[in-house]
Amino acid sequence: MTLERRDGRLYYYRSVRDGERVRKVYVGSGEFARICSETDILRRTGRRAQRERERAELETLKGLVAPVEEFSEAAKVLVIAHLVARGHRKHKGEWRRARSA
Amino acid sequence: MPGALELSEDARGRLTELRALSEKAEAGDKEARKELRRLVRASSPEVIAEASDIARRTEWVLVKTISAGKPLMEDALQERTHQMRSEIAGENPTPLELLLTERVVAGWLLVEILEGLIAAQYQRDVKAHRVAPTYVIQQSRIVESATRRYLASIRELARVRKLQAGTPPVQVNTQVNVLRG
Repeated sequence: MTLERRDGRLYYYRSVRDGERVRKVYVGSGEFARICSETDILRRTGRRAQRERERAELETLKGLVAPVEEFSEAAKVLVIAHLVARGHRKHKGEWRRARSA
Repeated sequence: MPGALELSEDARGRLTELRALSEKAEAGDKEARKELRRLVRASSPEVIAEASDIARRTEWVLVKTISAGKPLMEDALQERTHQMRSEIAGENPTPLELLLTERVVAGWLLVEILEGLIAAQYQRDVKAHRVAPTYVIQQSRIVESATRRYLASIRELARVRKLQAGTPPVQVNTQVNVLRG
């Protein structure tokens, strides 16, 4: 987005992605250009704040999940160690009772 | 309280050792199985106790988060988790069953909280502005993964109970206080 001043007059252009290329599209001039430019800046700032809020909320969720995840992994390792120590074995993804049991 | 909800370096080291030995024993290494039995007897009680303790503290943090300073809600949730723990653990649970019980309770609590938080966010955000699809996808992944882990914890507990029935246990002496609030 660019607000250009030429010969004392304002011209506003928006950048529009067209596949690989980015095109500069003329929006308007004078007071209209200034209003469009400020509206775009406000919209962009709002979107950035929204993304920041979403990122923070995802971090909060991940922060709640992390200890449960770590504890779950520990429990998994302990269960396998106990079962294997008792002689149980895995067969095609299913745990089988120890032969001696 | 950073670090309070994480396993100690020592416990992590023991878990790594247990995992490596389990893999070797599963592959048929008899020496590894002997060593695993020794290690399960010697070090797993402490690790189980530490993991159970972390689970309790994690549950406490989760309860605090969802109750958002409302004492009645906090009490109700603590009572609910306490009941769940007693019902699921049953009578005379082994330390391993207690650990898996904590895992089920923590998993349930986490899924409830995630769903609650996300529902609240939607109510707020959808009215105010457009929610980014990538954000919705990431949220869904977090909830889906937590739900999957919760269901797996229930299956694991049932599986352990089934396998333990009738087999002589590897004796471990771990004290985990079920009635502690």
